[in-house]
Amino acid sequence: MIQPVALSDFFITFFASALIILAGACYALLFAWSKVNSHFYIKLAAYLSYGVLIVAVLLLTQAANFTGYWLWLSVVMVMGYFFAPMGIWYLCVGTHSDDSHKILEEKL
Amino acid sequence: MKVNKLCSIANDKLDFFVTWTALDRTNLSDGRKLAVNYFIVAVILFFAQLLFGIIAATQFIFPHFLYSWLDFSVNRMVHINAMVVWMLYGFIGCIYWLLEDESQTDIVGLAFGKIAFWVLTIAVTIVVLVYLFIQIGAGNDTTLWLINEGREYIEAPRWADIGIVAVVLTFFYNVVATFSKGKWSGIAGVLTLDLVALAGLYVAGMFYMTNITHEQFWWWWVIHLWVEATWEVLVGVIMAWSLMKLLGVKRKIVTTWLYIEVALMFGSGILGLGHHYFWIGTPEYWLTIGGFFSALEPIPLVAMVVHAVYDSGSHAFKNGNHPALAWVIAHAFGNFFGAGVWGFMHTLPQINLYTHGTQWSASHGHLAFFGAYATINIAFFYLAIQHWRGNVWMSGGNAHAWRWKWALGLLNVGVVGMTIALLIAGYEQSFIERAVEGSTWSGYFAAQNHPSFQSAMIWRWFFGAVTFAGLLLLIWDLLTIGKDETRKAIVIVSE
Repeated sequence: MIQPVALSDFFITFFASALIILAGACYALLFAWSKVNSHFYIKLAAYLSYGVLIVAVLLLTQAANFTGYWLWLSVVMVMGYFFAPMGIWYLCVGTHSDDSHKILEEKL
Repeated sequence: MKVNKLCSIANDKLDFFVTWTALDRTNLSDGRKLAVNYFIVAVILFFAQLLFGIIAATQFIFPHFLYSWLDFSVNRMVHINAMVVWMLYGFIGCIYWLLEDESQTDIVGLAFGKIAFWVLTIAVTIVVLVYLFIQIGAGNDTTLWLINEGREYIEAPRWADIGIVAVVLTFFYNVVATFSKGKWSGIAGVLTLDLVALAGLYVAGMFYMTNITHEQFWWWWVIHLWVEATWEVLVGVIMAWSLMKLLGVKRKIVTTWLYIEVALMFGSGILGLGHHYFWIGTPEYWLTIGGFFSALEPIPLVAMVVHAVYDSGSHAFKNGNHPALAWVIAHAFGNFFGAGVWGFMHTLPQINLYTHGTQWSASHGHLAFFGAYATINIAFFYLAIQHWRGNVWMSGGNAHAWRWKWALGLLNVGVVGMTIALLIAGYEQSFIERAVEGSTWSGYFAAQNHPSFQSAMIWRWFFGAVTFAGLLLLIWDLLTIGKDETRKAIVIVSE
């Protein structure tokens, strides 16, 4: 059974949902960038984005009244967005492994 | 006598137009000639989509505008149907365009393909004329077969439905027979399987059921599974081929990523169907399934972001067609924001209870369709025009390059502006009509008459006009770009 969002939580629900996707994409972008350009601040910004994502998931969990198995959705979002960019990155490296362009491998 | 004179004048004008565009069809293979026929109709329908859209937007502000001549319900129907059909024309055109190149042979059964094109185009014209001339009346078995089937977004009468399936099967025959005669590839395999699903799923919207829940259950198979599964895969195929041609990306890489993207899209998109089953009378478990898989749907988009960064780190973006690449980049952003951000904002049942079917959906629909599908078709139009002119230079420094840049800017700003305006209207509607007033008739009118809703509709009209201006500029640019260009395109080789 679901408990609908309260009137007072309308804005925060939309905002937190949008922020999850945006922060997730920012984390993915910065994570990938930190692999291309191994600068400490880029990595830090990536993990800050991930921190924003966690806050957004918590806000959504609270505003959308996630209880019972709905809490799994929050767990999947937090875990999934953390590991997905890493997995995709390894897939990128794997699929490009015999690439004649060695620039990136040299940087790595 | 007068008719003859009119025909003669029309012929003269057409000849003048053909001479003015200076487009030479001898530069194209037979398959590509058929592809550009599809592209031409696609652009005409794109124009119709925006024309009827802007009339419908005007009627939101002035409800009596063209009332009883061209009703809002008809405008909206033609607006959306034109969009669905022009995108299909664009996709079919793209596939005919790449088919000979990908299979390394001539298209098998091209004559059938040409007949199918004319059958489809004549059928679309008749269907639209019937929509416009017979706008109201009782619905019965005769109207279902001849006038309007009554299913939102796929209103075409049943005779046209059968024709559409026949045309898609002919198209399928062209594709499979050509690959069978020539060379199969990973792209060919994915495309073939996707076309089976594309034709098969349309059948789910063709039979009539008396129970509205059953009716809606199958109807969503066409709407959702076409748009969020088969169309996405089709775009993946088109994108994979165009990345090889535009940027010289290796075949092995695009094919592997096509498989990964297809797995991610099908893994999340098929059961993401559940977010349409929330409020139509289906069992409660669809709330969980829809919520969970909708949350997974942005994953392929996140994958795209990571891969884009990887590629920009290893390639220098050297390409042979700047406008096409710019539209491909617009596709990546538009798809991410329209489908990902705008989709997830209102997809969980706890909030969708209030937003479902409001202007919020329209906001998501405008950005997602434009970002995910219109952009990739436009990118392909530029690829087609480059070859139609004899594979001329389009890598920067072209005369009148401001036209494609401004068309790109106006179309994107226009659609984003409409999206924001509709978002404001949708928020107000969800809040006042649904949450405060409890989805009553009085709530509906309270929301429709609210100043923020009405202001949003004016802003939507304004940005609709910006989009329309962008389309006019785009058409002008497509007709003229590379006209006086004598340099040949740079050669991009994919291994």
